Amino acid sequence: MNCRECVEHLYEFLDREVTPELERDIREHLEECPPCGEQFDFESLFLKFLRARCRAQGAPPELKRRLLRDLFGE
Amino acid sequence: MTASAQPPPPVDEKRASFEREALVHLDTLYRVALRLTGNASDADDLVQETMLKAYRAWDQYEKGTNAKGWLLTILRHAFINEYRRRTRHPETVDLDTIEPFAVFGEIQEEDPQGAFFDRIVDDEVLRAIDALPEAFRETLVLSDVEGMSYQEIGKILEIPVGTVKSRLFRARQLLQGKLYDYAVNMGYIKGTPA
Repeated sequence: MNCRECVEHLYEFLDREVTPELERDIREHLEECPPCGEQFDFESLFLKFLRARCRAQGAPPELKRRLLRDLFGE
Repeated sequence: MTASAQPPPPVDEKRASFEREALVHLDTLYRVALRLTGNASDADDLVQETMLKAYRAWDQYEKGTNAKGWLLTILRHAFINEYRRRTRHPETVDLDTIEPFAVFGEIQEEDPQGAFFDRIVDDEVLRAIDALPEAFRETLVLSDVEGMSYQEIGKILEIPVGTVKSRLFRARQLLQGKLYDYAVNMGYIKGTPA
């Protein structure tokens, strides 16, 4: 696997959407290629950052109360 | 302790299963609704409407399958039919003309660990997501915030998995570009002079 092929599957790999064979090929390439490794680490960090920043927000308690009232008459 | 003479109240099975399988996804529905409508009041109404519709149709949902996906499909249809018209103007952006921007290439010398991300606050990230074209925004939120698989996303958005992949790629690159520009403007990183 060359760098272009490796980077092409970058997000699929990070999203765990690749076949076991492809995953193995990518891991092998990453071990041998520090620049690709750095890029994968950067993108992986970005996805973790995104999730952490956006998941703090949940439904407001008032919405939940309103829902329970309308659904079950509480 | 005294034993209760009364038998326990009969369990309302419909309500119990709805609470167990549907209401547990309330936070997810709310977050997605907020990113779709762009404001808290419409997000409240959209979630409310989704849950009422879902409860009415609960008998049609096959218990123990993918309630989250089922609810999000209802939510998205409700959004398209009733909210999009008044909350956001229909997209006029040609998605294919949006050039992805490789942020890593710009910062690999200065900040390969992406430390500048840590200085960007939640609100700024949400604002940047809200500025994405709708098709990119909904794909990114389902994947990167709610952790759904390509296949689940394709089913909800009614698009092939290949389209999920390409939208996700472009959405992420676009979002990174926006956050990078913001970080440069704020002086968090030097960046590359234009």
